[in-house]
Amino acid sequence: MRGPEYFDAYHTTNKNHGYDINPTSSQLNEGVTMTARIAFGSIIMMFLLALPAHAGGKEEFQKYFSDAASKVRATESPAEKRAILSESFQTMSKALDMVQGSPLISKDDGIGVDRLKATLQEKQDELAGNNGYVRVPDEQLNAFSDYVVQDMEQADQIITISLVTLLLIIILIVLIVK
Amino acid sequence: MQDPHSRSVRGAPYSMLFANLHCAALTVLLSSCSADLLVEREAQRAEEDAPAVPYSIVCVIHGDGDYLYHDTRGNEYKADVEALAGAKRVAMRNSRAEVFIFHQKPRKHFLFFFPLQDGEFYYYRNGRLIANELYWRDQGQSHFDPEVGLYRRFRSDDQREMVKMFLYCGHEIPEFDGAGYDASYPDRPFTVHDLADGLQGFTRHSARFDLMVLSTCFGSTPYTIGTLGSSARYIIASPDNLHLSYFDLHSLGRLDISLRDGDVQAFAKKFARLAFDRLTRDIQTAVSVAVFDVDRVQGFLQSVHAVYDHTLTTLQGETQASLPTIERCDCADLPAYVLPAMNKGVDVFYRPARFGRSKHKQNHSGWECWREPVLK
Repeated sequence: MRGPEYFDAYHTTNKNHGYDINPTSSQLNEGVTMTARIAFGSIIMMFLLALPAHAGGKEEFQKYFSDAASKVRATESPAEKRAILSESFQTMSKALDMVQGSPLISKDDGIGVDRLKATLQEKQDELAGNNGYVRVPDEQLNAFSDYVVQDMEQADQIITISLVTLLLIIILIVLIVK
Repeated sequence: MQDPHSRSVRGAPYSMLFANLHCAALTVLLSSCSADLLVEREAQRAEEDAPAVPYSIVCVIHGDGDYLYHDTRGNEYKADVEALAGAKRVAMRNSRAEVFIFHQKPRKHFLFFFPLQDGEFYYYRNGRLIANELYWRDQGQSHFDPEVGLYRRFRSDDQREMVKMFLYCGHEIPEFDGAGYDASYPDRPFTVHDLADGLQGFTRHSARFDLMVLSTCFGSTPYTIGTLGSSARYIIASPDNLHLSYFDLHSLGRLDISLRDGDVQAFAKKFARLAFDRLTRDIQTAVSVAVFDVDRVQGFLQSVHAVYDHTLTTLQGETQASLPTIERCDCADLPAYVLPAMNKGVDVFYRPARFGRSKHKQNHSGWECWREPVLK
């Protein structure tokens, strides 16, 4: 650790070069304000970075289906309602396929993703009237979109998927949609 | 020449920054302390001039997990925050009751390092807020010790002729394992057994709770009702998934009118009916609310105890990964449970999901079971 001698020597050396390194009071204030700003900024940044990591995952996942349901309700045409729902299922399924192929996810997450895919397939089948389902009638499409949101909110397979994998799914959805 | 003030000038903003941090930390500390002082004074005053209260409600709201849900307009809600608001409304509307509300919150830190208290307690008497303080939840195995401590500190002295109720709002309480129930304590288990232990603390020197409301998913399994039944005369629970908007608590307001005759059984059915009506208005998934007369269901519980216990033992041997793949079902779908006593002491309000494979299922026994995995 450097002792007071070092600072004295440094001070003397600079003085000998013909300029005074002692800053004026306003320069000092400026420097200190800058440091305080950096410290304050760092704290704010830490908060901002920590928030999405904490709030993300399941909440973003739920929001995805809630947003789709809002779009369904905002549309009058049954054909458009169906298209919105179908696209939301397909995008999610695609993201789940991609995640499943990733070496990053654990075996437990793989099982959770499998179940989630099966749940989504059931809903796709019901929407289209496949696999033994009666096609959801046009006048029930709003209610069906609410059903999807509520069923996903209480889906225990989402709870079992880790936060990292859920975030990965959300990122992939954003990339696919773009 | 060195400016003699440079040191103090340089140090001033730092001092201000640290002073601000200290002030903030002190504010946090003092705010919790001041609540305590207020509590003591208000509690003493309440003791002095309050008439005896004939109704008592203990409400535990678990908020340390994923509790986000959306309404049909796409608005976001936090289930625990909504439940807390509902419980406070009930407390304020009851002019002749004492209401204990425990809000179990996620553990948070002030400036990342200083842990903040993760429980908040409210005590109302005769419609007035007497105490509100922050507390530390159990840091180890959860037996509701801090909650029981607060309950004993504030409860009315005269417990004899009181109608007592216990409400729990939260996710499904696991029957075994239970690790990860609290997001802030991922390694700590919380099971039905732990809740039963906590209830023993609340009811130590008195009779059972007259009514218990389990606002959770899958609350009416034979094991859950059997275990919690030692602390309650009547239990209201949902055999299936319960939407996070929970049971409507409105009917708990004005107990002096709705429970004037002291008929807890009739009140429980009315509560269940209203909760069911409220849920079916907005919810498209299955809605099920069951009322159990604990003494009358003992025969059924004893008959199926061995079968259900065997299933639980089998499930405990399963790997963590395979557990979510094991399905739940109405116990009536399993021949071993279809006994003459099955419906005795159970009132069920049920409406199937509007969509999905189970939409044609018209009845529910009120009992929920596990579909035991087929061994390969």
